Amino acid sequence: MTRYGMLIDTTNCIGCFACRTACQRQNGLAANIDYIRYEDRETGTFPNVGFEVIPIQCMHCEDAPCVSVCPTGASYIDETGTVRVDEQKCIGCKYCMAACPYLVRVHNPETGAVEKCKFCAAESFEGRGETCSCVEACVTGCRIFGDLDDPDSDLNKAIAERNALPIAGDRTKAKIFYVR
Amino acid sequence: MTYEPIWGSIIAWYLFLAGLGAGAFATSAFLSWRHPEAVTMRKIGHLIAPIAVGIGLVLLMVDAEAGFANPQRFFLLLGNFGSVMSWGVVFLSVFMVVALAALVLDFLKRPVPGWLENAGAVLALCVAVYTGALLGVCQTFPLWNNALLPILFLVSALSTGAASVLATSIIRHGEEFNRVGVLKKFHFCLPIIELLLVMSLLFITQSNSEAGWASVMALVSGKYALAFWLGLVFVGLVGPTILEVWLLFFSAKEFEESRLAHWLSFLSDAGVMVGGFLLRYLIVVAALPLPVAVPLF
Ligand code: SF4
Ligand code: SF4
Repeated sequence: MTRYGMLIDTTNCIGCFACRTACQRQNGLAANIDYIRYEDRETGTFPNVGFEVIPIQCMHCEDAPCVSVCPTGASYIDETGTVRVDEQKCIGCKYCMAACPYLVRVHNPETGAVEKCKFCAAESFEGRGETCSCVEACVTGCRIFGDLDDPDSDLNKAIAERNALPIAGDRTKAKIFYVR
Repeated sequence: MTYEPIWGSIIAWYLFLAGLGAGAFATSAFLSWRHPEAVTMRKIGHLIAPIAVGIGLVLLMVDAEAGFANPQRFFLLLGNFGSVMSWGVVFLSVFMVVALAALVLDFLKRPVPGWLENAGAVLALCVAVYTGALLGVCQTFPLWNNALLPILFLVSALSTGAASVLATSIIRHGEEFNRVGVLKKFHFCLPIIELLLVMSLLFITQSNSEAGWASVMALVSGKYALAFWLGLVFVGLVGPTILEVWLLFFSAKEFEESRLAHWLSFLSDAGVMVGGFLLRYLIVVAALPLPVAVPLF
């Protein structure tokens, strides 16, 4: 089985927002819609201070609250474990937006439907197409995409080596792992 | 990060009207049990129920923009019985059928059978509880994610529903209004229970997380404080309670049955309805999310 996941090493993130820009271009999004949002904060105490930037996007949860509340079945989990929205089925009730603990779903004012990260990085990972996803766009190589079910994948090795964890504990069995 | 509420006043109107319509039908059912002679009031309840719920449903569809533009997608709404919203659609549609059936029977001057009245009352309770459970299952928002909310919305639904029936009857059927003492006494208790529930909700929510604390503070001393204290607590709950205590227990019977007292009662019922809307609105917009990576507050 394939179960896609990602690692984001925020210790290397410089907060340039290249991933968001690439995502908007890759997915043809308007400037006011983004699948990646950022949280940031100052860290440490003077004089040893730092600045932490954390890119946040759909975590492709295994226990996905957005999927369990969606009344139409528009939100679903596909065979690779990727959480998707069938935009032909979505009525735009925004229930999933209220249920997602990570606040990463966006309402597209043009179609009225709800959208979010589609894990398009899988396309180039599978060699299916030329993409410039967040993974390829990251200038400092913070992101590793891969198959969580493959014990030898670069992703699994990096998760183990760097002790990466879901961003907010195991609330929803998130499949994006963070190094902070 | 700044947080914008996901739902706004349209959804608040929907939750309010669905509750009010359900409460109006439940009031009719109560009247047919305890005050069978109050025929006009019962009919008023039967009339308000489908109209209020119907308007609410239209608002819901307008807010669901992608469905409004492609109405065939609404047929998918029964697609996931793990979703509270799918259950709500079932309750609302069956309730609408029963409420419309009762209305048609009233128009044809045929009696509404007791089983229909009771089935409608049970469905009304389901609809009212569903409006609270809809928000209640969203784990992200401590102000919603608790078991008090469905009960609070149920009590508010019964209270606003009864208020709508009582207020409408005052306009042209004062004599009937004078004779429904048991209903009035029940109705009088509801804002008091509601006040207790609102206070319990706030006490518990403020203690369970930073986000809960911030949501409660936004209500009691932040940007929603005026609407909360003046609108919900005073106009919606305490004001009507004071007026009704006076009218029901401390005024002479002749005064209680006078037109002036009727209009004071009307005022109190209008207050209850204003409070019912504000309750939904404030709960919808004041809820703040649990933090993800960085503490928000
Ligand atoms: S992060 Fe949000 S949108 Fe993505 S799967 Fe989890 S609950 Fe759904
Ligand atoms: S907005 Fe669309 S995807 Fe989200 S819960 Fe509603 S129908 Fe499902």
